[in-house]
Amino acid sequence: MLEKILLLLSLSLSVAEGLCKPGVGEAYKVRFSIKTALGDQAYPWNKNEMFLFRAALAFAMRDFTNGEEFGVSDIHPCNETQRVSFWFVVTRPKTMDLVDKGTVEMAIKKSRNRINGAFLLTDKTLEFDGIYPTLAAPVSPDTPPWLIVFGVVMGAVSVGIIALLVYPLVQRKLKKNMDADDEDSDEETGVKTAENGANDGIYNSTFSDDERFTQM
Amino acid sequence: MEKDGRPNWDSPMQFVLACVSYAVGLGNVWRFPYLCQLHGGGGFLIPYLIMLLLEGLPLFYMELAIGQKMRLGSIGAWTSISPYLGGLGLASVVTSVYLCLYYNVINAWSFWYLFHSFQSVLPWAVCPINSNRTGPTEECEVATPTQYFFYRETLNISSSIEENGGIHTGQALCLVLAWAITYLFIVRGVKSTGKVVYFTATFPYLVLFIYLIRGVTLHGAINGLKYMFTPKMAELANPRAWINAATQIFFSLGLGFGSLIAFASYNQHNNNFQNQAIVVSLINSGTSIFASIVTFAIYGFKATLNYENCLDRMRLLLLNTFDLAEDAISMDSVLEWTEKLNTTYPEQFAQIADKVREGECNLEKELDTAVEGTGLAFIVYSEAIKNMPLPQLWSVLYFFMLLLLGMGSMLGNVTAIITPLRDFKIMSRMSNELFSGLVCVFCLLLGLGFTTTSGNYWFTIFNDYAATFSLLFIVLIEVIAVSYIYGIKRFEKDIEDMLGHRPNWYWKIMWAVTSPLLLIGLFIFYIINYIQGGTPTYQAWNKEHFYFLLNRQYGLSLLKVWVRSCLTKSPVIPCTPKRK
Repeated sequence: MLEKILLLLSLSLSVAEGLCKPGVGEAYKVRFSIKTALGDQAYPWNKNEMFLFRAALAFAMRDFTNGEEFGVSDIHPCNETQRVSFWFVVTRPKTMDLVDKGTVEMAIKKSRNRINGAFLLTDKTLEFDGIYPTLAAPVSPDTPPWLIVFGVVMGAVSVGIIALLVYPLVQRKLKKNMDADDEDSDEETGVKTAENGANDGIYNSTFSDDERFTQM
Repeated sequence: MEKDGRPNWDSPMQFVLACVSYAVGLGNVWRFPYLCQLHGGGGFLIPYLIMLLLEGLPLFYMELAIGQKMRLGSIGAWTSISPYLGGLGLASVVTSVYLCLYYNVINAWSFWYLFHSFQSVLPWAVCPINSNRTGPTEECEVATPTQYFFYRETLNISSSIEENGGIHTGQALCLVLAWAITYLFIVRGVKSTGKVVYFTATFPYLVLFIYLIRGVTLHGAINGLKYMFTPKMAELANPRAWINAATQIFFSLGLGFGSLIAFASYNQHNNNFQNQAIVVSLINSGTSIFASIVTFAIYGFKATLNYENCLDRMRLLLLNTFDLAEDAISMDSVLEWTEKLNTTYPEQFAQIADKVREGECNLEKELDTAVEGTGLAFIVYSEAIKNMPLPQLWSVLYFFMLLLLGMGSMLGNVTAIITPLRDFKIMSRMSNELFSGLVCVFCLLLGLGFTTTSGNYWFTIFNDYAATFSLLFIVLIEVIAVSYIYGIKRFEKDIEDMLGHRPNWYWKIMWAVTSPLLLIGLFIFYIINYIQGGTPTYQAWNKEHFYFLLNRQYGLSLLKVWVRSCLTKSPVIPCTPKRK
């Protein structure tokens, strides 16, 4: 019994290895740049990580095909390198039929964020050769921010100009009012003090033409 | 107010600051560092300082003396010297009008960049995404994000000067703002200008100082500084270095526009302009040197960054092609690994050999890229800024400084137009505010032409031709008029009347002999250069082919127009191109 199972497994493995050929058919190349992304906190690449990858990809296939029971054994990697890059193919559950590239690509695109998250990587550090990441849609605010700053500065300048233009007019008006008031009060006081003649200013001859007398 | 009712500066300090604010402008920041780099770094200072002594100082002194003595704008002042020289003043006014038209557009761009700095991600740091959301837009991918932002989003530039689109609304708004602020500064004449220059003259130095500290502490700045300060003395033998030094001093001090005459006409009669002339000229040159230290620190940072990015790209290329472990190649060992892999796996290497050759990383080459003008200010600097920590702060500071430098120079330019025109009896009946407003609105409306899609090409015409040739001619006639028509003896007496002592032999020799000869030399050189240059060309940004540096030809026959107009008494240079 045990031998039969082992035989079946090794058969399936060898068939699968035959399926995964780099650069040919439905194979995709994937590249991990763990040290670039995580630096000191980089985890080493080993069989467990590979298992996680296969599980994540199986999840992506299940999610995309809406329930087809893909398993870890349906993801077949090969040609692993030190770079941490390898090729892989996906087969349909319970058969050895390869899933076409288009379907795999769309499945990966749909769950890209989840796959990245599983490895603590980003679109740039976990690359699938040939599958371009869908970039986030640009955020366009209702009012462009520069217009707001422009409005503030323009408003301040306009207020400044108006203030500078209006200020002397206002001053002149105030002065006119004050002069009018002064004249009124002067007239009144003038009537009162006309007898004194203090407002006319008397010519005091003491301070005129002194030189005539001081030149010796 | 003086006896003749002419307004005055509140204090001599205001006059000095106004002259500093006017003379220290964008040229100190974006032309001098370029010349320094072009002509052998530190060695360029020698011809620069010599030219300052031979032509800069004497001509500056002369213009201040005329303004202070005549107490009139350029037209009135030259008419007083000799009734036949009125055209000289008129030429200054016309050149100032040309300058005002296009100079404020630079301020509009500075405003645009300043307002766009208030975002979490600077818009020139990343490319906009294309409609498929698969990557950046094509145009941006071939160019850099900073170039894309300047040529596409700021200017929305067309492919040639003939193709004309509409006005760029954002630019137009910024231009309106620039003129509004100019009006705000000059509306009360010297009273308002005098207060504003306290700020516009001093704040740029604060920003330059902050940038100096930030610049020299940046990674790789030392490469730029070393590059600048290693003088290549061989360049001194190149006559171009001396000619460029002479022209730089000349244009940097803002001679010939009539602004200095206008500013000095508001002085008290006994103001000691001799010391002030020396101080302002030295401050101007000192600022140029100061600004180029900052610029070279930034250059060094940018070049080192580009070099390291290039090395990193090479490293990734090698890692990915040969599937080596990530930490096998470090930044320092990229070059030796390239050699090793070339010898061990020649066939595989041949596949990427093209890419390796194209992406050749060379620090010297990065430092050698000398840029001047708007390219330096808006592209190179913004690229460096986006890589600094907290880029929004540095961006705001930098463009605010550019604005102050530009606005300070605009004050002088507009005053050069308004002062001589107000001296005419007809104009003086209008109120100050109304007349200034009319001038500003006039320049604004014409300046809107520079905000169209082909506006930048018109801007380049104005920048290169509007004020260069005619100014040389104006100042040449000025110095000959003062030395020989008015007479050095009379001029001496006037100065003695104002200052209390006669100018010494240095000044007299410069006015009578050296400066005129130098100016004639420059003038001849410009003419020869122009004739030899053939049909003038300009660089166009071609959207279809996605490359810049496409040299197109103007269909101009400028020289004929110049020669014709130079022979008349009032050289007026129209700048409308005529198609052949």
